[in-house]
Amino acid sequence: MFGQAILNDNLPGAKQHHWSPYTDNGGTIVAVAGDDFAIIASDTRLIQGYSILSREQTKLFKLSEQTVLGVSGCWCDVLTFTRTLEARMKMYLHEHLKPMSTPAVAQLVSTMLYHKRFFPYYVSNIVAGLDQDGKGTLYSYDPVGHCEKNRYRAGGAAGAMLQPLLDNQVGLKNMKGGVLPDITKEKALMVIKDSFISAAERDTSTGDGVIINIITKSGVEVMHFPLRKD
Amino acid sequence: MFLTRSEYDRGVNTFSPEGRLFQVEYAIEAIKLGSTAIGIQTSEGVVLAVEKRITSPLMEPTTIEKIVEIDKHIGCAVSGLMADSRTMVDRARVEAQNHWFTYDEKMSVESVAQAVSNLAIQFGDSDDDGNAMSRPFGVAILFAGIDEKGPQLFHMDPSGTYVQYDAKAIGSGSEGAQQSLQEAYNKSLTLKSAMKTALTILKQVMEEKLSSTNVEVAAVTPDQPFHMYSKEQVEEVIKEIA
Amino acid sequence: MSILSYNGGCVLAMKGKGCVAIASDRRFGVQTSTLAMDFQRIFEMGPHLYVGLPGLATDTLTVHERLRFRLNLYELRESRKIKPQTFSAMVSNLLYERRFGPYFVEPVIAGLDPVTWEPFISAMDLIGCPNVPEDFVVAGTCAEQLFGMCEALWEPNLEPDSLFETISQALMNAFDRDAISGWGGIVHVIEKDKVTTRLLKTRMD
Repeated sequence: MFGQAILNDNLPGAKQHHWSPYTDNGGTIVAVAGDDFAIIASDTRLIQGYSILSREQTKLFKLSEQTVLGVSGCWCDVLTFTRTLEARMKMYLHEHLKPMSTPAVAQLVSTMLYHKRFFPYYVSNIVAGLDQDGKGTLYSYDPVGHCEKNRYRAGGAAGAMLQPLLDNQVGLKNMKGGVLPDITKEKALMVIKDSFISAAERDTSTGDGVIINIITKSGVEVMHFPLRKD
Repeated sequence: MFLTRSEYDRGVNTFSPEGRLFQVEYAIEAIKLGSTAIGIQTSEGVVLAVEKRITSPLMEPTTIEKIVEIDKHIGCAVSGLMADSRTMVDRARVEAQNHWFTYDEKMSVESVAQAVSNLAIQFGDSDDDGNAMSRPFGVAILFAGIDEKGPQLFHMDPSGTYVQYDAKAIGSGSEGAQQSLQEAYNKSLTLKSAMKTALTILKQVMEEKLSSTNVEVAAVTPDQPFHMYSKEQVEEVIKEIA
Repeated sequence: MSILSYNGGCVLAMKGKGCVAIASDRRFGVQTSTLAMDFQRIFEMGPHLYVGLPGLATDTLTVHERLRFRLNLYELRESRKIKPQTFSAMVSNLLYERRFGPYFVEPVIAGLDPVTWEPFISAMDLIGCPNVPEDFVVAGTCAEQLFGMCEALWEPNLEPDSLFETISQALMNAFDRDAISGWGGIVHVIEKDKVTTRLLKTRMD
């Protein structure tokens, strides 16, 4: 009788505790590539459930003078993934006596993600930078390493909200006119700011502030602007 | 050297009191029994030329493969124990493909040489990988390729040491050939004249008469990745140097 | 997946200056198969009153007919045109009657007050919880995308022409990023003395 009661976990009052190795810490990444620059931006809010863990946590990781990685998702996976990636890049530097190019980083990110195909890093990645010819490039990923080369991309919590906006404002989708020239830095910055302001209105996990990295041949310039904090 | 034999030439990982590893030195000596191979780097590309020793008229000459492709942009010429060379070439190919898979870019010639040299020094007691070679590899390799630094020629010996060369000869005729290369080489050499130079020098050092069946020629250039020269193409060059 | 996204589709409404606009896609499908590209999910309920019923297609039709029924009865009894606010309450009431066995539609209402010509928009969930904002309402399988578009494009006091442009761009770019919405669009711009209905040519994939 007593033994049965212990085994039966459906008794009234019995609690079941589930533990998940993953949590969603929110956050949004937006990136736009131009002819001779790439811009990548993240919001600075870190959440867990309804709690705000941080209002000033950047999700951008400068990997080299010409490559920046933006990651959102499960924060512990973000930290582990970026540290492993940084270590792999240092090993590459020592083995091959040259810094990794942005396309090489892009491929490495894909391979690293896929190597954890059956216990994935819960992350949404965007790699932005300049390629060997100095052209702005950007690559986006799913958690298991599917990689796509893009001109513009929104990822993370408000990715679905902002991607159609970028399609429209950067990709000029559903607009009249033929093929249009590459986007200017000023226009790209404006669209990125507007998109974060919009995301902060509707997505509770996005807000507090935005950190923008502008990658040009002279290096990475960092900008910051505030978002609503509620 | 053979007069200084002692118990120190047995274990492959035992230094002699004078600080030498005899087995490695013997392996380097073994290369000098191999057939001659020459590599010349020019601004237009890199040329490899080797002699093939046809020891019997019943032998099928095309089955002697001393120049092989590592990746589209890298080839190599080997001299020494051919069986050992297969292992090293296999490693070079795996490393080159693995690099492409991981980084989506061509592996540099130097990195390939580095990767193969890592294999070359894994002799002696078994390590974590399990089955290490019990002795040094009896092979010298010339890596010829084109990477972002341009045309490159690297030489690696059984000790795993690798050095970049403008022009290098290995194998039995290497001493004489190297001397001739030093005299013939200049920075403004064209690919065509480098090929002629290589064959001329081979002709001098080979015991048999140079022909299109007993030499192999290959080149790597920016517009043409690794490619072997056909019998007819080789014959044409031989005619020109006659 | 939810029954709400079994057939796909979306509706969007926006307020302008003395006008309102309501727009939707035209796809009818069963999960990922597209079966028709001329499906109607926005219905005219009066000269200045429209309702959009995205969700399960069978319920779109049923709810439309039951609303028509109640609206006819209302206007016969009252002998006057219904106010959009009142109609919104009627929809909400109809849905809440089925609180525990709901119709799988998320209605969007847009109209002008028949007396004051004041613009009105509202939206509600499938059990009739109303939302009556000052700017725009969205519903359907690409609601998230629509929110992003509207939040960036919408501004106060849009004239009818600009309102049409804004709502069309918001709609098209949003449903282009949704696999089960799109395949043509329809936009109604409701003004005091006219209603302009336009069909949008969009990418059909």
